Amino acid sequence: MNVTHDTAQKTTTLHAIGRLDFEAAGGFQKDLEASVSAAAADGNAVLIDCSALEYVSSAGLRVFLVGARAAKAANVPFAVYALTASVKEVFDVSGFGRIIDVLFDRAGALEKVGRGA
Amino acid sequence: MKTARTDVGADAAALAPLQSFLCQFWSDADLPDADRFPFELALEEVFMNVVMHGSTGLHDVRVAVTLSADEDRQVEMVIRDGGNLFNPLQAPVPDTDAPIEARSVGGLGIHLVITLMDDVRYSADGGQNCLTLRKRVAADNRGA
Repeated sequence: MNVTHDTAQKTTTLHAIGRLDFEAAGGFQKDLEASVSAAAADGNAVLIDCSALEYVSSAGLRVFLVGARAAKAANVPFAVYALTASVKEVFDVSGFGRIIDVLFDRAGALEKVGRGA
Repeated sequence: MKTARTDVGADAAALAPLQSFLCQFWSDADLPDADRFPFELALEEVFMNVVMHGSTGLHDVRVAVTLSADEDRQVEMVIRDGGNLFNPLQAPVPDTDAPIEARSVGGLGIHLVITLMDDVRYSADGGQNCLTLRKRVAADNRGA
């Protein structure tokens, strides 16, 4: 799995690319926690772009949960967007859509975290 | 009928080779890529469960995976392990309505697997755990 970052419009975006499995989960968790801490200090929101995320297992879901909890505790607006079919299926079955804001696309996600046009 | 079998130690380092084994089988059997995901997920969830919990207090636990696909595109994956006997189908179903503070992913893996597969059966066969997972895959690659 690869993750690239960019920051614009008071929003930090993590672009998650590839497979979020047991092996990748530890590294992604550190990355996401550091991004949430930095966003809290800068008054930024955090988005995860899942458009190139092909796979997620329960170990990967745990990272989304940890990240969403850290964001909530730090008052950092947080959302994920552009889920692929497999990842969406996992979110749906596990009920994660009820605890994490999942948006169809980037424009919707920006609006959700208060950075809309 | 196409069949493939592999055998690995219960070590997290074997997860990537297991996924490669599944991918190879999938392409050899000419199965549609879009239907591979539930099997990849099941392989990781079941195998990592053996690594993290099933081999506690034991040495050299082996995990054998057998894949087969018949002419009706019924795919079967049998995962056998010599770890501590445990029937994952009797594990409590996680509360997928709990608020964020109360959420955990404990039990979520097997819940995902049961939901995404057509049929999952457990037996304690000759002192080994044996999980049989089946799903009929939809269309073939040529039609896609």
